[in-house]
Amino acid sequence: MKRSGPLFTLLAGLLLALFMLSLNATTGTRSSAAGDESSPDVASPSAAPTSPSPTPGTRSPSPGPSRTTPPNGDYAGRTDDDSSAVAVSLRDGKAIAYFCDGRDQESWLKGDVEDDGSMRLTSQKGAVLTGELNGKRISGTVDMGQREYGFTADKALKPSGLYRATASVRGAAVDGGWIVLPGGRQVGILKRDGTPSAAPRIDPETGAVTVDGQQLTARPVTP
Amino acid sequence: MTVDPNAATQGFPSPDPSHRRPRATRYLVPALVAGAVAVVLGVYGKVHDPQGTTFNLVGFSSTGAVKSWLATVSIGFAVVQFVSALMMYGKLPGPGWASVLHRWSGRIAFLVAIPVAVHCLYALGYQTYEPRVLWHSLLGCFFFGAFSAKMLLLRSERLPGWMLPVVGGLVFAALTVVWLTSALWFFRTFGVTT
Repeated sequence: MKRSGPLFTLLAGLLLALFMLSLNATTGTRSSAAGDESSPDVASPSAAPTSPSPTPGTRSPSPGPSRTTPPNGDYAGRTDDDSSAVAVSLRDGKAIAYFCDGRDQESWLKGDVEDDGSMRLTSQKGAVLTGELNGKRISGTVDMGQREYGFTADKALKPSGLYRATASVRGAAVDGGWIVLPGGRQVGILKRDGTPSAAPRIDPETGAVTVDGQQLTARPVTP
Repeated sequence: MTVDPNAATQGFPSPDPSHRRPRATRYLVPALVAGAVAVVLGVYGKVHDPQGTTFNLVGFSSTGAVKSWLATVSIGFAVVQFVSALMMYGKLPGPGWASVLHRWSGRIAFLVAIPVAVHCLYALGYQTYEPRVLWHSLLGCFFFGAFSAKMLLLRSERLPGWMLPVVGGLVFAALTVVWLTSALWFFRTFGVTT
């Protein structure tokens, strides 16, 4: 007498997995059941109750009724796979964005923001960010060449945002970029003569950061 | 009434191998299946281009929160598993329906973990960029392999007594680490949110 219960259990698990997989594959990419996908940054400890709810399940219709240029502001968030951070700064129809994984991949991207809130930003090395401003959130993708990352970036209030510091420290050209996320986490890369490494923390209030013993000031980046 | 020593010894070898072969396959099949499941999951997660997005559940702020809560439900039932197993082996006083409890809590824990794993593998893939993520990826694959082995081992009779507790313990330990490196991390990083 062989027990078949365990087999049924495994079979049920397999079927459920295949079902979920087909559901995932058919619902496509961005516009699925509920507005925001996999952006744990939304759930930063204090932010939970504040985010005014576009009711889940209903896609919030295009934001302001009469708007010409998208409003100025900073947006910061993480990629859907949680590996990297993305921040975008909008000023008068122009945008600059910074993509950074905190280790060795980064990209500064620039471009215009259309009146409908969509944007296509490019970097010198060919990375492309396509995004759409939707209320208080920019969502989209960053194509870094070898990989494409989905991301969502929420409206960020100071000191959240993107920062940059360039200086010469002991003969080396130092170029640092930081994203300060809502909740205070930082993701940054510091390049010494072009060699990237994880960046030391900046003081988000003053932008002060110590690099190789020398104090620098990281400044907010605007287009 | 004379015992022929040769006859007796000749009788023995023949049933012996026929007994031993199914015994070997008894372990071999679950072990191979377990290895195959774990490797296939890992390879899929590594090779498949992470999609980054999947659907969300209504009422939750993010996929991370959904997954963390599902994982927490799963680990909750896994604890029930551990306790009910102790009851079945008489280490704890327990009711007669401890084995039913064990069976069904296990099924629920397993089935609840499935959507989480599907999302992990489909949207995020097998990642190694930091120790927490590496261990999570590794043990996540290991868990489903070990669980498959456990299920298949249940089907064979006459296992050594330590077999099921050891394999079950491995499954439980793997799930615990997988939970610690994901859901607990999520709750500590982003707060206990829904």
